[in-house]
Amino acid sequence: MKKRFFPVALVASLLAFCGVQTSRAQTPEQVFRAAGTPHNPKVSVSWNRYYDYAGITQICQQLAKAHPDLVKLETIGDSYEGRRLWVLTVSDFKTGDPLRKPAMYIDGNIHSNEIQGAEFALYTVWYLAENFQDNRFIKELLQQKTFYIIPTINPDARDNFMHKPNNAHSPRSGMMPLDDDGDGLVDEDQPDDLNKDGHITFMRRKSPNGRYILDPQNPLRLIPAKPDQPGTYELLGYEGLDNDGDGKVNEDPIGYYDPNRDWGWNWQPDYIQRGAFKYPFSLPENRAVKDFVLRHPNIAGAQSYHNNGGMILRGPGAEEDQNTYNRDDNQVYDLLGKYAEQVIPGYTYMVVYRDLYSAFGGELDWFHGARGIFTFTNELMSPYLQFDRKTASGQEREAEQYDFNKMLLFNDAFVEWEPFDHPTYGMVEIGGFKKNYPRAHPGFLLEEDAHRNMAFTVYQTYQLPQLEIREVQTRKLSNGLTEVTATIANNRIIPTHSSQDLKYKIERPDYVSLKDQSIVAGLVMENADLNLGKEQKQNPSRLEIPNIPGMGYVKVRWIVLANKPDLTIEVDSRKGGVVTQKF
Amino acid sequence: MNQKIKAALVGFAFCGATSLATAQRDYQSYDQLTARLQKLSSKYSKLSTLTTVGKTATGKEIWLLTLGRDNAVNKPAIVIAAGVEGTQLATTELAVQMAEQMLQAAVLQDSVRELLQSKTFYIFPNLMPDASEQYHEKLRWERSANAQPIDDDRDGRMFEDPFEDLNKDGLITMMRVKNPTGLYRPAKEDPRIMVKADVSKGEKGEYLLYTEGIDNDRDGKWNEDPEGGVVFNRNFTFDYPYFQEGAGEHPISERETKAFADFMYDARNVYAVFVLGPANTLSQPLAYDKGKASKRIINGLLEKDAAVNDQISKLYNNTTQLKNAPKAAPSSGDVLQWAYFHYGRFSYSTPGWWTPKVSAPKDTVNGKAAVAPSEHEDVNFIRWAEANEVVGAFVDWKRFKHPDFPDQEVEIGGFAPYVRQTPPVRLLAPVAQKHFEFFSAYAKWMPSLQIVNITSEKVAGGLTRITADVLNQGSLPTHSEIGDKSRWVQKVKVTLKLENDQKLVSGNKIQLSNALGAGEKFQVTWLVNGKGYVTVEASSPTAGSQSKGVNLR
Repeated sequence: MKKRFFPVALVASLLAFCGVQTSRAQTPEQVFRAAGTPHNPKVSVSWNRYYDYAGITQICQQLAKAHPDLVKLETIGDSYEGRRLWVLTVSDFKTGDPLRKPAMYIDGNIHSNEIQGAEFALYTVWYLAENFQDNRFIKELLQQKTFYIIPTINPDARDNFMHKPNNAHSPRSGMMPLDDDGDGLVDEDQPDDLNKDGHITFMRRKSPNGRYILDPQNPLRLIPAKPDQPGTYELLGYEGLDNDGDGKVNEDPIGYYDPNRDWGWNWQPDYIQRGAFKYPFSLPENRAVKDFVLRHPNIAGAQSYHNNGGMILRGPGAEEDQNTYNRDDNQVYDLLGKYAEQVIPGYTYMVVYRDLYSAFGGELDWFHGARGIFTFTNELMSPYLQFDRKTASGQEREAEQYDFNKMLLFNDAFVEWEPFDHPTYGMVEIGGFKKNYPRAHPGFLLEEDAHRNMAFTVYQTYQLPQLEIREVQTRKLSNGLTEVTATIANNRIIPTHSSQDLKYKIERPDYVSLKDQSIVAGLVMENADLNLGKEQKQNPSRLEIPNIPGMGYVKVRWIVLANKPDLTIEVDSRKGGVVTQKF
Repeated sequence: MNQKIKAALVGFAFCGATSLATAQRDYQSYDQLTARLQKLSSKYSKLSTLTTVGKTATGKEIWLLTLGRDNAVNKPAIVIAAGVEGTQLATTELAVQMAEQMLQAAVLQDSVRELLQSKTFYIFPNLMPDASEQYHEKLRWERSANAQPIDDDRDGRMFEDPFEDLNKDGLITMMRVKNPTGLYRPAKEDPRIMVKADVSKGEKGEYLLYTEGIDNDRDGKWNEDPEGGVVFNRNFTFDYPYFQEGAGEHPISERETKAFADFMYDARNVYAVFVLGPANTLSQPLAYDKGKASKRIINGLLEKDAAVNDQISKLYNNTTQLKNAPKAAPSSGDVLQWAYFHYGRFSYSTPGWWTPKVSAPKDTVNGKAAVAPSEHEDVNFIRWAEANEVVGAFVDWKRFKHPDFPDQEVEIGGFAPYVRQTPPVRLLAPVAQKHFEFFSAYAKWMPSLQIVNITSEKVAGGLTRITADVLNQGSLPTHSEIGDKSRWVQKVKVTLKLENDQKLVSGNKIQLSNALGAGEKFQVTWLVNGKGYVTVEASSPTAGSQSKGVNLR
């Protein structure tokens, strides 16, 4: 009795607000487990809404408190405005140092308006921790692997997005003030929330000069007039004023820089790559992430959540970088990407520069190019989730949003048009979609899509290298010498070194050591049957293996001056973990 | 001329110099340089300030000496960046001597005082003090990287193969190993100097050549992972040499480069950057290449900027009269190209000092005939060093029993570290003087915004039309052509300032112009309703500002 209530009491003591519930309508006895979902979680979180920075912080703290053997909360540095950047380490801490297990890195929300990445990342922490006891697969996964999860790497502008007037696309930047129009003034003409509803929607004006008409199917919507048809409305852009009197409206909003053009791989300046800031990692949030990644060489896979469009993206981001992704690495990406397409219906596996757009200095490019880490970016929220139709044209898609808003959200995502007396434009109407639609998932879709995307990251984590000392053979030689041959296998599809890593020696080689004291020679074998191998003259007891390939193996051999050598073997790989076994 | 008289003359000409015996250590350590800069800035406290932009890994300050009277941040500025390569100690000395000469002259000469009144000089005397300090350590080796530990050969082992001073002379020189597979042979003009054998000319290699030391990790490479570091001049964003030795984990990864870049991005007033470093784009300008300039990733000077480089190069050669500069192209990840392509400013580089051509002796009393310059730079250098009594420039080859080469003939010797880039300091004063003259001339050419032809004309209905030309009276553009593309370069800005009861009827309050070339103008016009006086201000952080008022009609 006491044991069961303890965590609830603990949670209650931490709570102030947000979706973590202090009291429950149901007791665990009344709940029938739905397959695949923790039915009696220590930390209860509603996954059909969004959390601001304080809310995220609280959920992080509660998860770490409730699962001290599985979840650790640390900070990697501060944001520009001084918010702590949180990282959650998720692993079974009782089965070894998380730093020595192969690791998956997940972050979200680098673009501040692309909010749901944070909830998806948090859902992953919650799901893993709350399922550890009941699910053998999850238990084994956390015994063998580590997750590093940073729910938001842009907390300043996340809060701005939620608490200040914005539209679905703003801000994409961080909060550093910059001069965007070259007049020497910073952020001097931002959009204005004229009707004080917390959303930046559109301005339209009734005018015989306009080329738009009301959509007869849905009067909330404007559509272009036919070429031979007179128009009745003109569109005047986002809600706002010409604050600085320069004849332009909203031309210098918050930012503008793009945190996803700030990474140190093939970085280009703003005049080539719009959105680039001063130099790679000139944003404090990205610099903190970069330092964290450099301090955690066990990271072998990564996911950076964006929205939207239902894409599973891999690099290269720029055409100039095609050679950075070679055949061996692409095979691994393709296997994972195809899996993702299956578990997340409506999402398509794509290559950034080829299928989306060309961009320099992206996060996934740095992870892959500079660190050799297999990295995806999922563009969350697929149009497929709206209605069960995969092939819709751009025009239909747009109409679909109005239908979806009406049929499933009962107009909750729309600010209906209201007249407003504008100082520059005169009488206008203000209205349009709220900032929480259509890029962010409507509440009822959030948990499902979080789960599906998590399932993909879990699969990628499962496929991080899993090393095994498969076999050790000994053979007596003359003069009291013994030959010891060991086979080291990798039972997953991701190699200990991607080929980008191998090419540039990004991470140190894997070490295979024999603990016997009387080693005469050590060889890394090319073909053990034919006795083809390369001798390592320096320090033969610890052989250096450039790579242990995915679903492959390597063989090593020692010549030992002993009849009964100590057959304790240790494999120590930065991205493949540590295995020690005595034979 | 006999040796005694020659020595006496040298002594007379440079009576301030230290004795020749200690000349080889006469470059200053970090502490000495710090004291010298502090003294200088306190002596000329009205004309200069000494600040720091950051600290190195060992806690040394990265000094910035600012020359200019008051309000330095609001005046067009020239940046002089020295010590970018660690081994080029002469660049630091040149930068400081130039500052000393400039400050001294400012007290005596009106023209220099005026210069420091209208312009700012940001001088970074040594951007990599952790590297240059190796010159003063007990063991001297040419260190070009800072003190940020890095695994140079990326094998997971740090500093596993450092240099060893095998012959215990405190210097890391070279080892030559007699071996028929070697690629080197002694030069014909001077058998001490090792040169590459040209197999295509029937020459045979006789020696393997390595730096002095042991192959500690027995990987067949000697001293491939010594202590250090990242090289300042290899850590910038343009054409960054990924995974190359000394480049670092990513561009601007280092304390020094980040501190420098952060200062620069904040300093909107920087007009041009002069690097005292390995490349030379002043003796001979970079050529315009249309293909390079029109790529998506622009990697050649834009046309107008190339023309300016040409113009500046002529000025440099005319004012300094320095000749026979070796060609030295920009290099990957260097600060020179960053300053142009990514920082958007005019950017130039010169080593400042290079080995002068040895002139043929005028008297042939000893029967010596004129010697033609060698095709090998090292031969020319040693000739020059000996003619100029550079002490300890060369360590003669001596046999050494080397454990890595048990049965082979190994000798240790060669040029002393740093010697090719550290001429006796006494030789630098005239070089500094010439560069000071160049910078003075350059500063006079810098752009200057003027408002001319300002008129106000009466239009019906109480309106006044105001027209003015904003003219660049300087001999150089207001900013670079590439600067027009960059968000970090402020365009020429013309603002109309109105009183409360005046109203702008037509024309934008703020008008921006792309770079104005020498003598180019930008016309502005407004229609204003009201009475009284309005002010027009033309301004650019790199070209100065001017305000003029006019009465409404």
